[in-house]
Amino acid sequence: MPLWEEILRAVIGSFFGTVGFAMLVHVPKRAWLASGVIASFSYLVYWGCLHIGLSDPTSIFLGSFFGSLTGLLCARKMKIIGTVFLMSAVVPVVPGLGLYRMMAFLAQNRIGEGADMGIRAMITIAMIALGLGAGGMIDKMLHSHSLKNHHI
Amino acid sequence: MSHITEQTPEASCMEALQTAGRIIMENGGETYRAEETVNRMGTGFGLENVESFAVPSGLFISYQGEDGNPVTSVKRVHRLGRNLTRVDEVNQVSRKVFTGEMNCQAALAKLREIDAMPGAFRGVWSLPAAFLCASGFTALFGGGWLAIAVAGVVAALVQGIETLLDRFRNRGLTASVIGGFVTALLPHLLALAISDLQVELIIAGAIMPLVPGLAMTTAVQDTMRGDMVSGLSHGAQAILTAFLIAGGALLAVAVIRQMTGGAV
Repeated sequence: MPLWEEILRAVIGSFFGTVGFAMLVHVPKRAWLASGVIASFSYLVYWGCLHIGLSDPTSIFLGSFFGSLTGLLCARKMKIIGTVFLMSAVVPVVPGLGLYRMMAFLAQNRIGEGADMGIRAMITIAMIALGLGAGGMIDKMLHSHSLKNHHI
Repeated sequence: MSHITEQTPEASCMEALQTAGRIIMENGGETYRAEETVNRMGTGFGLENVESFAVPSGLFISYQGEDGNPVTSVKRVHRLGRNLTRVDEVNQVSRKVFTGEMNCQAALAKLREIDAMPGAFRGVWSLPAAFLCASGFTALFGGGWLAIAVAGVVAALVQGIETLLDRFRNRGLTASVIGGFVTALLPHLLALAISDLQVELIIAGAIMPLVPGLAMTTAVQDTMRGDMVSGLSHGAQAILTAFLIAGGALLAVAVIRQMTGGAV
């Protein structure tokens, strides 16, 4: 696949996929566009890190980390709850395919490969949590608790 | 409205606090957010020594009454839905109460309005949202035009089944298993008729509307705030949901393998 197509798929796919997901959890309408943009940014960071040769877990961590920082900044500017944008930042890297592959291998009695996929999916989830947590921590350090940051 | 006017101001304040906390927790908000909202609103109402304690299944609120004795209430949280617009609206009310722009009665009336507010994408309107979600992610994973379309249709169909289950108040863990099963079964069945169908990518995309992204985010948020009980509870819910979806998919693969004599 050419590089431009990969980038286009990353941007458009994560944008529309996340906007659809946001609609399903009834995200406020004024946050739809920003949710899609944050998801695209977060996924591009992940994709870019993979492209320069970083490992998958590190790339997921960095994608979630920068996605959560941007999301919290956006939440503050738009006075919308941060959960909306944090969720958007991580949805594109959630290991749906990994979990399915794990079960498909297990169904075929390929236990070793199934266990390998399961562990990879768990590592991905842990890296997402770590990225979100680190982003939240940095954001908290940068912004004092004031009414402006009420319930972000 | 007459019910509000019959209440004492103090009773209205307590009901407003209970309603605010309950709406947040019933609609996918974090427990720390419910506690912070109750505390800030209580302070905004002019109540003394407001304390709150929330766990995913309930909310406890206490403050010092006018006679100096503590006033405490317990609110059980039953429904666990996903409506972030309601959580955001409660947050806006909380801001107004804290800055003194809204009193108890006005806040309570607004909160009741929020509680009754329907979601923008409920019922059949959730089907196009599921289509968009699954199609977008299938494109992201590298699927072709046919795979993108099929994933969208499968996800919309699964969303329709979930909406039906919701009407029978059977959404939740059962819906996750059924969702995973149908999502994995349909593309495999189609692949028997259409050669070169990107089955794996279709399933990966179509399964995305089911993934517990919100529960996962809530779990991390609660844990980072030091609320281990709620963090672990939401985390366990997210992992259990993911495994049930995958379990449904496993069942579908097993059925297809039986049908095709192990060719898949």
